[in-house]
Amino acid sequence: MKYLYKLVLFVFIASPAAYYAQGFQVNLQGQVQQGMGGAGTACMQDAASLFFNPGGASFVNGNSVIAGVTPTFARGAFMDANTHQVSRTNSPVSTPFAAYGLFEIKDSSKLKLGLAVYTPFGSTVQWEDKWTGRFALTRLELRAIFFQPTVSYKITKKLGIGAGFVFATGKVNLQKDIPLMDANGNYGHAELSGKAQGYGFNAGIYFEPIEKLSIGLTYRSKVKMAVNDGQATFNVPSSVAANFPSGKFKSELPLPSVTTLGFGYKASSKLNFALDINYVGWKAYDTLSFDYENNTTSLIDTKSARMYKNTFAFRAGAQYKIDSHFAARLGLAYGMTPVQNGYVTPETPDANRVNYTAGIGYETKHLKIDASFLFTHLKRTDTNTETNLSGTFKTNVVAPGISIGYKF
Amino acid sequence: MNTTLYKITLLAITSTILVSCKPKFDVPDPDKGNIDASNYVAIGSSMTAGYADGGLYYDAQKNSYANLLAEQLKLVGGNDFKIPYVSQNSIGVGNMGNAPFVLGNSTDCQGVTSLAPVKLAAQGDLSVFSTNIYASQGSFNNMGVPDVKTIDMNVNGYANPYYQRMASSASSSILSDAVAKNSSFFTIMLGLNDVLNFALTGATSGSITPVNGAVGVGFEASMNNIVDKMMANGAKGVIANIPSIKTMAFFNTVPYNALKLDAANAAALTQFYSTLNPAVPFYEGNNGFIIEDASQVYSYRQAVEGEFILLNVPLDSIKCNKLGSLVVIPDRYVLTLSEIATIEAAINDYNVVLKNIADSKGLAFVDVNSFFAKIKTGFNYNGVAVSAAFVSGGAYSLDGLNLSPRGNALLANEFIKSINNYYSSAIPQLDAMKYPAVTFP
Repeated sequence: MKYLYKLVLFVFIASPAAYYAQGFQVNLQGQVQQGMGGAGTACMQDAASLFFNPGGASFVNGNSVIAGVTPTFARGAFMDANTHQVSRTNSPVSTPFAAYGLFEIKDSSKLKLGLAVYTPFGSTVQWEDKWTGRFALTRLELRAIFFQPTVSYKITKKLGIGAGFVFATGKVNLQKDIPLMDANGNYGHAELSGKAQGYGFNAGIYFEPIEKLSIGLTYRSKVKMAVNDGQATFNVPSSVAANFPSGKFKSELPLPSVTTLGFGYKASSKLNFALDINYVGWKAYDTLSFDYENNTTSLIDTKSARMYKNTFAFRAGAQYKIDSHFAARLGLAYGMTPVQNGYVTPETPDANRVNYTAGIGYETKHLKIDASFLFTHLKRTDTNTETNLSGTFKTNVVAPGISIGYKF
Repeated sequence: MNTTLYKITLLAITSTILVSCKPKFDVPDPDKGNIDASNYVAIGSSMTAGYADGGLYYDAQKNSYANLLAEQLKLVGGNDFKIPYVSQNSIGVGNMGNAPFVLGNSTDCQGVTSLAPVKLAAQGDLSVFSTNIYASQGSFNNMGVPDVKTIDMNVNGYANPYYQRMASSASSSILSDAVAKNSSFFTIMLGLNDVLNFALTGATSGSITPVNGAVGVGFEASMNNIVDKMMANGAKGVIANIPSIKTMAFFNTVPYNALKLDAANAAALTQFYSTLNPAVPFYEGNNGFIIEDASQVYSYRQAVEGEFILLNVPLDSIKCNKLGSLVVIPDRYVLTLSEIATIEAAINDYNVVLKNIADSKGLAFVDVNSFFAKIKTGFNYNGVAVSAAFVSGGAYSLDGLNLSPRGNALLANEFIKSINNYYSSAIPQLDAMKYPAVTFP
């Protein structure tokens, strides 16, 4: 338990900021599911089911606590189509984490209560100094931590329902350069920083129609992260400082709904398969607006079109139990980008992507250790209709993760 | 596992991950295509020379589109691009002997201090004109000479102080010096001064070069002569057209109707003019300035939409001495609709000639007129708004006629696009935001 304590402590101290997967959504949750391409809506293997399908969490045996972290190494780069100059990101290693506690109510094998804490959205993108797109963005840090208390009820041996309330808290920090140069050749800089909060829910149904097949259907609602009391700080040449008064701003970032249909198939006692189909309501992210408290002729409220579209993602994975202790996993996921042509930005230089994942697990009566590995490569060539920034973004993401669980 | 071994392993894994996930690009190699960039000569006037902020000075010369293009040509075999530099320590000098402008705090007649172009000194560095630098620094690749007209290019001993400081001899012409350089590649952006000297005086003095006439008289023959001589050795090149004056900050910054009146003043002025001819009604809000117009009975009338009040109009007199209301704005600060039409007609004629020359002689063509029109409309470049707005638009220098370094970089990119397109070359463009616009104190 001492090690578990240390791990949990580490997880909470480390920055929960995360690099992206699919827009700025981070699909790094339970390590078991992650090893299987991120599919888990119809496979109730551990307490991470609280996230993947609250309806099926009651089908997980006993009480358990799991905590895991997935250090994500992302390297981004941009080649300008006109100058052929290459700029790179210096983004810090991010550590999306997830912790789940699932508990049986005494004298009831049907009802389970749980708490899930996870970071489903977020990214920190830090571009190198003086890069081509610095007037569009130099740094974006998004953090969102979801707290999800959950009830899961097993109606029959084959059918379960469940729901969780989501309280989300986070912060945003956006920085870019301002094209006003002082006599020393330094451009101005803007920093918009604020805390955000939002609410939502996560509900699901789990059904086992026949012995080997399971089906899950879940809906995770949209969460509107509102920044009501943000602080805008401008650093510009002193002669124009009055035109850029530092002060409050308001903004809002919608975290989209996700509807998932999942299938699980137990081919044998050793081999099982999982398939999830996500439908993500990215259309909610239509506009990014900043409403400044102190407007001037130079500092006007902005509305930038993002025009995200709803997308699908397909996740498939397999698990093979080598013996009673060890399991091996493989997975593959294909995600469509919500970002339309003409709207690619350095915030989320998103593209259609294939995720390759693998994982291993070790289990005893009380202890459960799982590790996973994810690799993905993104490439997107575009000319942004607002900024005219034109070129190719590439990002490589490597995310090895580990979790430790205790069953009792 | 002991701690050291553990740490080494962790470090090794981390570095492997970091190195292996660095994205790679197939960066296209610069390619000269069908040109020989080894000896590039630029022909033109103020903008080519790097005249900016009302003067010629070292930093502006360094940031001329011609030198920025030369920097990119070095990626495809270009050599040293020699410029008749003003000393780096000099403040430089304008064509009236004036000092260049910088943006500074200026207190107007009403005691209000605000940002405005102020002259760096009471006078420009006239020593620039007193020394010929050909022997010490020549021969020159940048043959751009401020104020030169197309018809001046062939004049031996051409008496322009900017040329006299760089001429190879007392009897040379700009064109003979340029031809003597035996270039392998050249650019020509010339013709604006054939109308501009007239336009800048409010059409009160100077003249517009006619299209027809012999070399040294007419625009077409003079331009053909320049191109033929530059191409005689087989050199390839680019020819640019010239911008409409309607696009330029100098003519667009002071609105024709910036006479803003309250109801009482409007009534008083209406009363004042009611006994004169023509009577002029004034209204609360914006009104056209009263301008000089010799065709009227009392030689004045109210400016109408589309007419230009020039940037050099004395703003203090407008603010404090009733210039433009009780006092007529002199003709030299005004371009009327008919004067603008005359100037624009000449520019259109020149541009037809320039396009024909490009097509018939096989030169790449840069539509500088469209480029300036695009600036006038305004566009975004890598997230930065570029426009013809004076000071804040980013494209123009503080004289409102010539470009800022950023504007020059954008113009150089237009040349690069045309060269790449016509000569199948692959010369990378410049990141224009690495070059300053007007800097702020």
